[in-house]
Parts: sequence; C-alpha cells; structure tokens
Amino acid sequence: MDRLSMTSTTSASSDLLAPATFNGRPAGLWLLRFGRFSLLLDRRAWLASLLLLLATIVLIGLSLGSGTVKIAPFDALAALFNQGETKTIFIVRDLRLTRVLGGGMAGAALGMAGCLLQTLSRNRLANPDTIGIDNAATAFAVASVVGVSTTLAPSAMALTGAITMLSLTFALSGGAGTRGYRFLITGLGLGAICGAATNLMLARAPIDAANTAFPWTVGSLNNRSGVVVTLLAWGVVVMLPLATIVGKRLNLVRLPDAVAQSLGVRVNRLRFFTIVLAGSLTGLAVAVAGPVGMIGLAAPELGRRLAGPRTVPIIPAALAGACFTMLADLLGRTLFSPTEIPVGIVTALVGGPYLLWFLLRTPRGKQL
Amino acid sequence: MATTFLSRRMLIGVLAALGLLAIVVLLSLGIGSDNAIGFAQVLAVLQGAGDDQARMTVLDLRVPRTIIGCFVGVALGSAGALLQSAARNPLAEPGLLGVSAGSATAVVISIALGASLDNLQVWIAIVGALLGCSVALGVARMSGLGDDPIRLVLAGAALSSMLAAVSSVILLTDQRTADEVRFWTIGAIAGRNLSSIRPAIPVLLLGLAVALLLARPLAALALGEKVASGLGQRPKLVRTGVMISVALLVGSATAMAGPIGFVGLVVPIAARAIVGPDIRRALIVAVLLGPSFVLLADVLSRIVARPTETPLGVISALIGAPILVLIVRSQRLPAL
Repeated sequence: MDRLSMTSTTSASSDLLAPATFNGRPAGLWLLRFGRFSLLLDRRAWLASLLLLLATIVLIGLSLGSGTVKIAPFDALAALFNQGETKTIFIVRDLRLTRVLGGGMAGAALGMAGCLLQTLSRNRLANPDTIGIDNAATAFAVASVVGVSTTLAPSAMALTGAITMLSLTFALSGGAGTRGYRFLITGLGLGAICGAATNLMLARAPIDAANTAFPWTVGSLNNRSGVVVTLLAWGVVVMLPLATIVGKRLNLVRLPDAVAQSLGVRVNRLRFFTIVLAGSLTGLAVAVAGPVGMIGLAAPELGRRLAGPRTVPIIPAALAGACFTMLADLLGRTLFSPTEIPVGIVTALVGGPYLLWFLLRTPRGKQL
Repeated sequence: MATTFLSRRMLIGVLAALGLLAIVVLLSLGIGSDNAIGFAQVLAVLQGAGDDQARMTVLDLRVPRTIIGCFVGVALGSAGALLQSAARNPLAEPGLLGVSAGSATAVVISIALGASLDNLQVWIAIVGALLGCSVALGVARMSGLGDDPIRLVLAGAALSSMLAAVSSVILLTDQRTADEVRFWTIGAIAGRNLSSIRPAIPVLLLGLAVALLLARPLAALALGEKVASGLGQRPKLVRTGVMISVALLVGSATAMAGPIGFVGLVVPIAARAIVGPDIRRALIVAVLLGPSFVLLADVLSRIVARPTETPLGVISALIGAPILVLIVRSQRLPAL
C-alpha cells in the first residue's frame, strides 16, 4: 500500500468524477451485468484471491495430513469429503478437522478485522491485538481457568470478555465519533487494565492453575471445543459478505471525510458498522484461539500487496490470515515434535522481526 | 532568565509538589496492609523508641520500600517528561512506547540464561531500555510520526506486544524463570531491600543529571528544529541525549521495581497542568511529583485488598489507563 495514498486517490476520483470518458468499463476491472444490476470487479484483487485460495487449500491438506499418523495431503482432502479408507476419514474428520478449521477460521476473522480497522483508521499499524479485545478475552478466560467464582468454560468466557470490552470501549470512546483513533487508544487503555488483571490473577493463583491458564495468555489451538469452533465458522460465513460490502464502502472513506460524504457515504454510520464488525470478528477468533498476535497486522498487508491499491482487500486478507494461522500452527506442531509450540508464540516469533522491519523501513509521512 | 524561571506559578507548583510528597511519604510509612502499626508507633520508632516488631516493620520494610518508591518515581516521572517533550507527543510514555517492555524482556532473558533477580545486573535492564527507546524514537522520527501521537503509540503497542511475546516464550519453556519473575513482571516495590537496588542508584542519578542538562536544549527544540538550530542547539545530539537519559532512567527503575506503566504518562501531564508546558519547569515538577504518584499507588496497593497486597503495577495501570482514556476523549489532543 506504499504508493496508495496518492495513486488510489487520483485513480478513484478520476473513475468517479469523469463519466464523460467512460466507455463500457475502466481498465483492469471486470463488469458484470444482471439486468438492472451491475457489478465492477477488480481483476487483480480477484486473481489474488484465487491465488490465496489455492494456497489455503494446499495448507488445509498439509495440516490435515500432518501429525502422528502421516497422511498425504491429497488423501487428507479426499477424506474430508468421505473418500478413502475409513481410518483416514476418522482421523481427518473426527480428530484433526476441528483444529484446522479453528485455526483457519480464526486467522480469516483476524485478517478481516485487521483489514477493516486499518482502512478505517487510515493506519497500517492498527490491529485487533492492540485495541484491547485480546486482553479482555484473555483476562476472562484466565479468570475462568483459575476459578474466580465462575463455572463457564474458558472459551465462553473469552467470548463474553471480548463482547464486554467491545461495548465498553465503544461507550467510553463516545460512539464512533469523527476520529477512528479515539476508539483505538481507548481500547489500548482498557486493554492495559485487563492485562494488569490477568497478571494479578496469574500471580495470585496456585502454580498449577497458573500453568493451566498460561496457554490462554499466548494463543493456542490445542484442545479447542467443537462448539466454539462451529460458532466461529458460522460467524465468519455470515460476516464475510458483510465485511466485503462494508469494505467496498470503506474504499471511499480513504478519501477525505468531506469528499466521502459528498459521494454519498454516511461516514459515521459506516464507522460504527466497521468497528462492530471488526470487534465481533476479533472476539470470535480470540474465543477459539486466544490472543494470536500479528495475524491482523500481516494478513491485510499481504492482501494489499497482492490485490493492488484499488480495493479494500477483505477477501484476500481473510484468506491470507487463514494461511498464516494454519502455517504457524503447522510449524508449531511439527518443528519440535513431540513438543508443541502454541500458535501464538510462533506468530509472535515470526511476526516480531517482520514488525520491526516494517516499522524501521516505513519512510517518512506515508499513510494508508 | 532567573526571574522568568522562578515565576510565582513555578514557586507555588514546587511548594505544592513538595508538600504532597511529604504527606505521601508519611502515609507510606504509616499505612500497612493491616492496622498493627499506626502513625504513633512509626513516629516513636523514628525517634529511636518503639518495640521490636514495630522497629522491624518500619525500618526494614516500610522505609526501604518508601525510598525505592521515591527513586522509581523520580526516574519514571522525569523519563516521561523528557520523552513527551522530545517526541512532541503527550502520549509518549516509557510503558506505552515499549521502553519498559524492552527492559523487562532483557531482564527475563538474562534470568533465563542463569542470572537471578537478587543480583540483577542493572546494565542488562539499561541495554534493553535503550533498545526499546531507540526503536520507538527512531520509528517516530523516521516515519514522521512526531505530529501524530496516535501512530507513535500504536507503534509502541505493537513493539510492546512483540516483546511480551518473547518473554512469554521464555516463561513457557523455562519453569524456573517463570516462578522467579511471575511477580516481578507486574512491577512491585514491596519486598526489595536497599542493598539489592544499590547498583541501580548511581545509574539513576546519572540519568537524572543528563535529563536536567537537557532541559534547556529541549525547551529550544520545542520551538521547532530550525529555530533550535538557529539558537545554537544540535537537535540530533539532543535527541540522542534524551534517548540515553531515558534508557538510564527507565532501565534503573525497571531493575529496581519491574516494569511499572503509566507513571511517565500521568506525572508529566500533571506537571504541565501546574506549571505550564515549558519543559525546564515541567521537568523539575515532574521529578517531585513522580515519587508522590508511585508512593500513592503503593499505599493504595496495600489497602485495596486488605490483608493481602495488590501489585503496584496493577494499581498504576488502574489509575493511569482511565487517565489515558480521558486524554484521548478530550476533543483535541493537547499539542506539545
């Protein structure tokens, strides 16, 4: 998105403001017509999505195939559709599918959330990790594990925490307001409180309980319940189209507010929807995987690189997020097998240097 | 110069800060996590009387704790004031920018490699703080974030979360380290004795001296880089100085008490509210207000969940985070 700020502004405005030269369709776009309705599709973005989809399928095959019993990726994919040996089908569908599905869906949700937040705040560093939802979910899950007067399962508590934090941040930041950043920093502050609470509980708890709770503080896909994964999968399925629609509108919010408004975008309402959508996606993802960092930062970046500057790459970001998470989980499971490294630690270790490079390289004054 | 510097407002500010500090020190000496030893006994002990239990509690527990709190407060308050002025950003704070996290991560790594909290090497914490500080300020300058407080904080948050992850990896794989630093990583000034913090004190004083020397150049820098150059300052040199000073201050504070957030955010803001934005005055008031804030938080940490104590880092986050939210909620971020 380096050269985006100038080029996309000019190209978007020239597309929109110069109907006189419009003949059929602009270059680089596909035009679909269904009677009265028509849709412009960005060719590069769709090719990028296709590429990432292929990568996702390959990774699903690899993830399903790797483990104590090795299964060839293709057989694993076939077993997913009830083809092949009964044993293989059992291993793939009953044992491994939940984990792979959980990882992929959590990654997709984080990727989408990151893409929405980054576009909204016009800031490539905005990230579902930093807005406190992670910390709240962690705090609630840890509370459930170390037994602070609750009987709810950690996943359910994490979801509760995420929703609580989202509403609280929203209330405290005074609605969507005219500045997206206020929401981000309010979340950051509230997240600090939750982080302190988590630390307090971990320090107070008996050592065994603290060790049990620890995976929730780093992000892990081990032993996640099928119910929550199903919930997350439905959430992603429902919210993907919504996010795509919102993303299409958000493309105009990259222009100055006044311009977007004059083009017919209700900027404040759109902000509200975006934040609610991003928050719910993050909440669901964290309820399944715990605070897996860096996905929401890196996936939209890759999506943008591949899809080009013209669109808000919701679908590429979702697919890239799914790829990253599954890849990280695959590495964590196989690299030091039989010791398993939680997925959150893999993403942090791989993402950390990337983040540093990203921060140190970004040249002066560039914005999303 | 001298007449403008010692304005009436400044005089009142300094006196008020000193008065507050005196009250808070008394509170810190007099209030414990139970009511066993009250003010009367503390006064008796300080005059050389009192029974053994009272003497032990006051002289071996509360006095060291108060002294450590003062040092930590001075270090974090002045580091915050320097950073906010140098980054021209009211949200620049050692904790938020990842300086404390850098320092803490370095300490965790050193402990995992075999060191122990009791004979902690101060320079390790300082190197970590220097790394965190240089990354944060380097990023701020390189990407022209100086005029955008939010981006700087986001960069710092990203950096902090990465460093926290590195710590997590170590804690997850190394049980001994995990047990040793579980409390330390929250930040606390309880249970430290004076001899273990002694190596950090000269470092802290050095950092403070550098900070005081930098106040004048920083005041010139506040007028803009070109003006500052015209006035004979070298902006690059000043920034490097700020970085070193902040690293010394935060590193020694972290070595003493673990990473304590939000002190460097709240204290300079209060100082500026009292004596105005001039860094020369704000720095001095921040140095006096820092200990008050830390000790106040520490006193609260003893009384909110009696008879047990709450770690200081939790209390300072509980006080500081709402203030952060309030700052952001205010219509316009106060420009520096």
